[in-house]
Amino acid sequence: MNNETKKLVWEPPFIQPHRMGEINKFGRARLHDNSKSSVYGVSVIELLRRFGSPLFVTSEKQIRTNLRNTKKAFERRYGSVVHGWSYKTNYISAVCNIMHQEGSWAEVVSAFEYEKARALGVPSNRIIFNGPNKPKFIIERAVAEGAQIHVDHLDELQLIESVAREQDKVVPVVLRLNFDTGYTEPWSRFGFNIESGQAHQAAKMIALSSHLNLTGLHSHIGTFILEPRAYAEQVRIMCKFMRELESNEDFCIDTIDIGGGFASQNALQSVYLPPEQVVPSINEYADAICTALLEGTQYRRQIGRELPRLIFESGRAIIDDAQSLITTVVGTKRLLDGRRAAILDAGTNLLFTAYWYNHQVHTTKPSEGTIADTVLYGPLCMNIDVMRHSVQLPPLSQGDNLVFSPVGAYNNTQWMQFIEYRPNVVLVHESGECSVIRMCEDLSVMMQQDRLPEHLSMPFPDTVAMNRVLNGSTIARRS
Amino acid sequence: MEELMSRAGGKVPTRERLSQLAVSETGFIFDPQTGQSFSVNPTGLIVLDLLKRGSTLDVASNSLADRCGIPTEIASSSVEAFILQLGRYL
Repeated sequence: MNNETKKLVWEPPFIQPHRMGEINKFGRARLHDNSKSSVYGVSVIELLRRFGSPLFVTSEKQIRTNLRNTKKAFERRYGSVVHGWSYKTNYISAVCNIMHQEGSWAEVVSAFEYEKARALGVPSNRIIFNGPNKPKFIIERAVAEGAQIHVDHLDELQLIESVAREQDKVVPVVLRLNFDTGYTEPWSRFGFNIESGQAHQAAKMIALSSHLNLTGLHSHIGTFILEPRAYAEQVRIMCKFMRELESNEDFCIDTIDIGGGFASQNALQSVYLPPEQVVPSINEYADAICTALLEGTQYRRQIGRELPRLIFESGRAIIDDAQSLITTVVGTKRLLDGRRAAILDAGTNLLFTAYWYNHQVHTTKPSEGTIADTVLYGPLCMNIDVMRHSVQLPPLSQGDNLVFSPVGAYNNTQWMQFIEYRPNVVLVHESGECSVIRMCEDLSVMMQQDRLPEHLSMPFPDTVAMNRVLNGSTIARRS
Repeated sequence: MEELMSRAGGKVPTRERLSQLAVSETGFIFDPQTGQSFSVNPTGLIVLDLLKRGSTLDVASNSLADRCGIPTEIASSSVEAFILQLGRYL
């Protein structure tokens, strides 16, 4: 075939104005190549060949490094520190056990999470049991096994006391508090409010009970907190409350739990500046918290009492950048407004955090063509299934791969089983070897929990009757 | 073209306007009137070349359909959309 008769590849005619170097609200258009052909040191092509697309890739080395650095930041400033791994952030078993091997306790918020921690082999005295919904059966188990129970509301407090009485035990409890730090929106729905006197009242009830012992205070001031001084104020208020309790009642608080909420290097859609400019380092958080804690517990040193143990329940800051999502372009479009668009094999069903973050997106091969504003859609039949509303990318084609990061926090737990199967999650071991840590779903997984009543066992009963007639079974039975 | 002009609110570039454009064989376009530059894809380059030489919508569509081996109806609606897009930029 010569050039004259060779057909041109069909693409609707299109003209694109040049806006090279133009400043927009996202900063200067990217002019350099930022493709990455490997994730955590492993080739993207090789990963997809072995495990398919889409694919979550998790780095054991990154998790351990993040956790060690975070713990070190607190330990060298305060000493007695425990990290509680927030299961809800990512409760894939391998991820949890990496945390536990590094010394983290399990911070769980439901019966399921408690049972999972125990099934993984976490000793009950290293389980922090948070959450507003703890049914009686799981409180009975937690009391019997000696887990650290955090009380969220009065009804729960009464339930714990009744279980303790039934088991003839004195149960140590941690009181969950809420209050206004002046920095963040108060989360008043969890725990007992200090300003209104609820917290004092709850403490008094515990003091009057012969089956409960108040041993700790807990609060969680919010999520993705960008201001370390908010934590300093939180600790100051908690220490003041602790001192009041210890001077009025016969309590000895041995635990101050400040919850979680440290920001990761992700870009919140509502924050104008990029994360590298607004997210504090872990040392800044630790500095604010530990300085306030040392000041607030000064009185205990003066009376020769031990300082309380500091527990922090950081999830996002430990795991977020330890996971990436590899996706594949299944088709491309031009939108009516002229922007490029691509449809990917992963959407908000897998990357739930795309609703509030602008994740980084990398191509996996060097850029060719003009970089332009592009919309990235997922595979769902929903208009809101948008992975990025606007990202500067080179022209994409079917089969190209894109890497989203950081995605480690809240996606493997909040992902939806909706329309599509959920894919493999793999771990890049410290040795560089890769293995599946959560198998992809298939039809058997999806139908495993379904139960069909007898009369609904056939979708088209009339066709079954017709088939019987046609193959003679009905006639044979009559004769 | 008249029907197209009425749908586009008169924003369809004339042949004279198109002939002002400097178009390279790789699809780089410079508009000396505004100083703006553009890129067209290969099919856009074919259509632009035809329009600059005075081809009608039908001729341009048939030619594109033939070059790409696609039905004329698809080519025709794409050429219409392309002309309207030119009108927005020129």
